[in-house]
Amino acid sequence: MRNTTILLIDNRKTIIETIKKSFLEVKIKHVLFTAANENEAWLMLDGSHKLNPIPKIILIDVNSTNNEGIDFLKAIRNHPDLKSSLVFVITDSKQEINKEAALQLNIAGYIHMVFESGKLNPSFSILNDYWNIIEF
Amino acid sequence: MNQKLVNILLVEDDEVDVMNVKRAFSKNNIMNPLFVAGNGIEALEMLESKIIPLPKIIILDINMPKMNGIEFLKIMRENEKLKNISVFVMTTSNEDSDKINAYNLNVAGYILKPLSFEKFLTSVATLKNFWQLCEM
Repeated sequence: MRNTTILLIDNRKTIIETIKKSFLEVKIKHVLFTAANENEAWLMLDGSHKLNPIPKIILIDVNSTNNEGIDFLKAIRNHPDLKSSLVFVITDSKQEINKEAALQLNIAGYIHMVFESGKLNPSFSILNDYWNIIEF
Repeated sequence: MNQKLVNILLVEDDEVDVMNVKRAFSKNNIMNPLFVAGNGIEALEMLESKIIPLPKIIILDINMPKMNGIEFLKIMRENEKLKNISVFVMTTSNEDSDKINAYNLNVAGYILKPLSFEKFLTSVATLKNFWQLCEM
């Protein structure tokens, strides 16, 4: 398994920092990029700030916004170069308003997380093991 | 998905590989009901005629007689009742075209079958942890 790149989208700075810390603690070797919202993410995937290579994995909490997250996933699935992205919804929301809509878009996983330092590591450890057994 | 055991459909033509999956499930205490189809056509018949309860997970081989894994995936993703099922490719095919086609059809992961049973056991254990982490 080769190392790949991951794009994390979340509008909460503290959560991004906590996840970055967890990546370090779990020793995840895949490269993590972050975007503060869907617009910023889109520029990194298909716009003026396009990353090279394009991230294969997207981490997003579709419940932290209204419909922006789901609209973003729909746009990804309709884009010839992005439709193959592996999307993992990571959410701390108990209100799963967008769970069904996300599952309809063939996400790779819908995962509940507690975005607190330390509590994230077991989940990211499992995810990292999974990323390491799959081909890209 | 910690609480309930979702159904799993294995689509695989090689009897030895079917046996290995069953052994790996047993050794990893994976208690989910496992159904087996020998190729894509048989799998579609089982799914469409409701001979088996609808699985939440499909483990899919690529190289099979009658209808291969990619052809099966294409038809499945166009079927309203089947298109949301999580698909994990498990194959010996290391062809880039198979990986690209599979990810374009939104599989949750493309796993190369390890040559040794011990390594296969580890991959299945990783899959089990991932399935338990995800809500389905």
